Amino acid sequence: MAVWDLSVMVEELGPEAPALKVSVTSDLHVGGVILKIVQKTDIKKDWSDHALWWEQKQQWLLKPAWTLDKCGVHADARLCFTPQHKPLRLGLPNGATVSLRACFSSPVFRSIMGICRLLNIRHPEELSLLRPAEEKKKKKDTAQEELYDLTGVPLSAGLGAVVTLSDGMPAHFAESPEAEAVYKMLSVSQPAPAPETINKLYRPTSVVEKAQVNSRWLDSSRSLLQQGVQENSKLLLRFKYFSFYDLVPKVDVVRLTQLYEQARWAVLLEEIECTEEEMMLFAALQYHIGKVSLTEALVTPSPAMDDLDFALQCLEVKMDGESSGVDMLESMTAPQLHDYLKIFRPKRLTLKGYKQFWFTFKDMSISYFKSKEESFREPIQQMNLKGCEVTPDVSVANQKFCIKLLIPEPDGMNEVCLRCENEQQYSNWMAACRLASKGKTLADSSYPSEVQSIRSFLAMQRSVPGSNDAQTDESINTHSLVSPRYQKKYKAKQLTPRILESYQNVAQLSLTDAVQRFLQIWQALPDFGVSYFVVRFKGCRKDEVLGIANNRLIRIDLGVGDVVKTWRYNTMKQWNVNWDIRQVAIEFNGNVNIAFSCLTADCKIVHEYIGGYIFMSTRGKEPGETLNEELFHKLTGGHEAL
Amino acid sequence: MDDIDAMFSDLLGEMDLLTQSLGVEDVRPPSPKKEVNLSVGFTDLNESLLELEDNDLDALMADLMADLDATEKLAAEKKAAAKDPHPTLENLHLPSPDHASVPAPPLPPAHRASSAENEEQAKADKIKLALEKLKEAKVKKLVVKVEMTNGSSKTLMVDERQTVRDVLDNLFEKTHCDCNVDWCLYETNPELQTERGFEDHENLVEPLSAWTRDSENKVLFREQEDKYAVFKNPQNFYLWKKDKKALKDMKDKDKELLLEENFCGSSIIVPDLEGALYLKEDGKKSWKQRYFLLRASGIYYVPKGKTKTSRDLVSLVNFDNVNVYYAKEYKAKYKAPTDFCFILKHPQIQKESQYIKYLCCDDHRAMTLWVTGIRVAKYGIALYENYKTAVKRSSASSSWTDRINSTQSTPSPTPKAKAANGHPLPPPPLMDVLPPPPPDPVMPPPPPLPNKGGLPPPPPPSSVTKNRGGALPPAPVEDFPPPPPLDDGELPPDFMPPPPPAAGVGFYLHGGEALPPPPPDPVGLPLAPPPPGPPPPPPPPPPVGAPAPRPVLPAKREGPAPPKRTTPGLSAPSGGDFMSELMVAMQKKRVQQ
Repeated sequence: MAVWDLSVMVEELGPEAPALKVSVTSDLHVGGVILKIVQKTDIKKDWSDHALWWEQKQQWLLKPAWTLDKCGVHADARLCFTPQHKPLRLGLPNGATVSLRACFSSPVFRSIMGICRLLNIRHPEELSLLRPAEEKKKKKDTAQEELYDLTGVPLSAGLGAVVTLSDGMPAHFAESPEAEAVYKMLSVSQPAPAPETINKLYRPTSVVEKAQVNSRWLDSSRSLLQQGVQENSKLLLRFKYFSFYDLVPKVDVVRLTQLYEQARWAVLLEEIECTEEEMMLFAALQYHIGKVSLTEALVTPSPAMDDLDFALQCLEVKMDGESSGVDMLESMTAPQLHDYLKIFRPKRLTLKGYKQFWFTFKDMSISYFKSKEESFREPIQQMNLKGCEVTPDVSVANQKFCIKLLIPEPDGMNEVCLRCENEQQYSNWMAACRLASKGKTLADSSYPSEVQSIRSFLAMQRSVPGSNDAQTDESINTHSLVSPRYQKKYKAKQLTPRILESYQNVAQLSLTDAVQRFLQIWQALPDFGVSYFVVRFKGCRKDEVLGIANNRLIRIDLGVGDVVKTWRYNTMKQWNVNWDIRQVAIEFNGNVNIAFSCLTADCKIVHEYIGGYIFMSTRGKEPGETLNEELFHKLTGGHEAL
Repeated sequence: MDDIDAMFSDLLGEMDLLTQSLGVEDVRPPSPKKEVNLSVGFTDLNESLLELEDNDLDALMADLMADLDATEKLAAEKKAAAKDPHPTLENLHLPSPDHASVPAPPLPPAHRASSAENEEQAKADKIKLALEKLKEAKVKKLVVKVEMTNGSSKTLMVDERQTVRDVLDNLFEKTHCDCNVDWCLYETNPELQTERGFEDHENLVEPLSAWTRDSENKVLFREQEDKYAVFKNPQNFYLWKKDKKALKDMKDKDKELLLEENFCGSSIIVPDLEGALYLKEDGKKSWKQRYFLLRASGIYYVPKGKTKTSRDLVSLVNFDNVNVYYAKEYKAKYKAPTDFCFILKHPQIQKESQYIKYLCCDDHRAMTLWVTGIRVAKYGIALYENYKTAVKRSSASSSWTDRINSTQSTPSPTPKAKAANGHPLPPPPLMDVLPPPPPDPVMPPPPPLPNKGGLPPPPPPSSVTKNRGGALPPAPVEDFPPPPPLDDGELPPDFMPPPPPAAGVGFYLHGGEALPPPPPDPVGLPLAPPPPGPPPPPPPPPPVGAPAPRPVLPAKREGPAPPKRTTPGLSAPSGGDFMSELMVAMQKKRVQQ
């Protein structure tokens, strides 16, 4: 058989070096070619990650047993001998960028599995990569983004379990302080961004703009290099399928944190619409999560620690058991608050205003007397606060500390306003009122922390008016917790009490609970989990919007934004893609057929979305079930995969 | 004297019988009250004790005895449990199974302790016991009169830790009803003309405590089809926009899927209701039409001149502090456009007030949709858990009633000697297990039923149900088929998303060989009986005279309802006082006899 020269570029020989000429025959297999190349370069190193890339055909030659002939390689081919894993800059949901080695030769689906393994995110099938939006040319690219480097971390080849340390951190992060810092970035939510930062970022304003983002998803069934992604270029990692399977806080620290970050940015950038009330709750939760993140880890799992805690508890109980009943008696007598406060009842149409009385807070009710000396007599009035509504009416600047109470009574709500003298008094009484409204007494263990959280919120209000000097942990700009729409609508001092109002319902949540609550509210929004595409239905003359969610397809009027029609997947019989005219046709039960072409995105992306959601719904209930990669490709691959 | 002793022991037996929690067989002959429908009024203790009927008193007495016994035992146990990792007071109140075997008046633990060498210890124990009792005495208890749909009533003692579920179970015991999931406790307020079914997870005492002294409110025990309609026919709520025929023909597996999508995810999905409702303006008499939307965070409306995009919506109310109530005959009362009204109010509010939100729907269907949607938004997963518990309860007891019926058919004047000393408070632990028959020395074990259909179960509530069927149109009740044996009611394992397919460019969703294995059945659902009108298990024999169609309004009832003066009021008895009063009352009874 004829011997001919195959020219191969080898990066290790330097960029200027001429292509290597290797003498081959057409029946030589790829493995043999690689062996010859390695011998010829005369460089001693680990070549195991290298493979042949056929530039002109945009193809990897990955099957070592295939002959050149079978691959279709002839003398005119220019091959490239290059590593399969290359560094990639990855934008994470939390906005940080991490540099890591990703696989450029396997289908993107598998590359993502590798990336998620490295980052310790379970269920990689829910995520995907997309190209960053084309940024408008800035005059000077001064702002150098902070880059976290993980390229030094070796990718474990096997599919075995990731070894985790006692605190839930995978072992591969423990190798250097830098890697540990990366893990902290991944697993702890980021501090609130400055309001200006939010304002500067791109916000979609219409459903058409929301559809644009979906044109940037990479194809899961082809490799990165095939899709023109170069070494060191930037891609974004995002949750693509909004069907989050088996979220377990204990093992999903990074996943939960990044999901929260993605949700938070979606809310801040108005990618998903919410009402004002919902926004205030989101803001309160962000504030709370930010604050608690400083002191509390998302999970403090380590079984050893659990045991220790348990042992300590037992010990405490034992000690308790041995103590005398006197202690129990003491613990059963409830603490009380006493003070002179001013009261005002708007309901009575008097002009009298605030009047001072001696107040006593006991259990869940407030009683007041003419004076301290009279306090042993019958109170003038006693108010049971259980189930009441408590609203603050506070202005630190004007030294106004009022507690507004709406106390339910058989014939309506009793409106009462209590005025305190100072912050200290206010915090104590406010905390007591709030606990009582939820049916808890002063003796409840959460009382001190409630007092503390009210104080820190007051501190926040104090520091807001333009004083940037005292930026402590506790003083953050409330404007950074809401989307630009509400930044414009409200001044900071109007916003703070609104957020505070919502905050009182979440202040006692642990970090994990707060993050989960945030996600729950996000998932309960009506528009949650819908990915939009502008399409043209067959037989229609105007553009319309197709929304794809985890259980249904939605046809939306582009002008008004109304839902025209909904089709659920469980009534779907089959769907087809005509790759020539790039049209998606779907058949539903009852002989319902629809067909459309996609205008804002390639129809492969739409096809992959539908197939992907079907795949998500087939995931089994058993934990530890392995990912059925083949099925995913069958459902999403289109003609390339088959 | 002997007589009294005999009576007393008889009484004790009776008490035990009554307090047996779930799972203990009751072999009394069928109670003379055949139709079971309860209503509850509750009464001021001091006044009403004398009025109580015999068995009411007995039941109360039993409840109390059990309480006290339990308290004492607790103290004893506490010492033993010192090695227990978490002996918090709370779970000490849970009776361990061996309670049942302890004879009624247990040895006061103090005795044991005092015989020990360490006197100090004994003293400490005594103090603890005293404290436990103190604590027990602090537990608020109410005597509640529950009105049945036939106008009769049952009186029971409810303490503040008991949930509505516990009380329902208690009532199931007492009434031998079919225990289906529709049974609920219903609160009516004649002043506001409202009614609301208590949710199973709520504590009963709390809402009742909000009643005023002169309140004419009542608690009814009755079947309410809308209680769990959202789980039986989720499509009516989640796909309400679809046409009615499609909804009616919905397949079971599609219903399962809907439930899974909306209730089994990490977040509960609220039905996306929207539409025009009439709102009675605060304090005004007029009703104004507005476009309302239901979201998980509350009810919103579209302000004038705005669109229904999220950012423009105005919040009417969130559900943290309010409950939703059906309102009756508001056309007459408030000049409402229709009689399909509901209100949102704080449970404490008992009278007309500007703080109540009055809403009016076009038709009955819309009203059911909104009220149910609001319940889903307010209670979330708790509602679904309640439903699952109720289903378990009803399926457990249906096979159970079979057995009871068979037992009852054997005429036997057996003395009611039962050795169960139950603690009434905590929910019975064996909700899902078919309880074994109690050890009964006299009675032979119930003969196995060869043919389940053998006992023709007359569908007695059918007349009642039909009546209500008129009032609650969705899910019409057809004639009852003979109850299918429940054990056989296994669902075919195919209610999963159709496995995706394979070959070709097309993706066939049905059929095909190279399919992925369908995921296993959802956990916890296999028991759910999906047909719209769940076939009732054999219910108690029908009333002798077939009940005449009853007016829908439960408040007005005919028949022999004893017009009992209900003086509702709270009583938070301090243990000792209450006991002595009760004893006095019982003695009086005895004298009368």
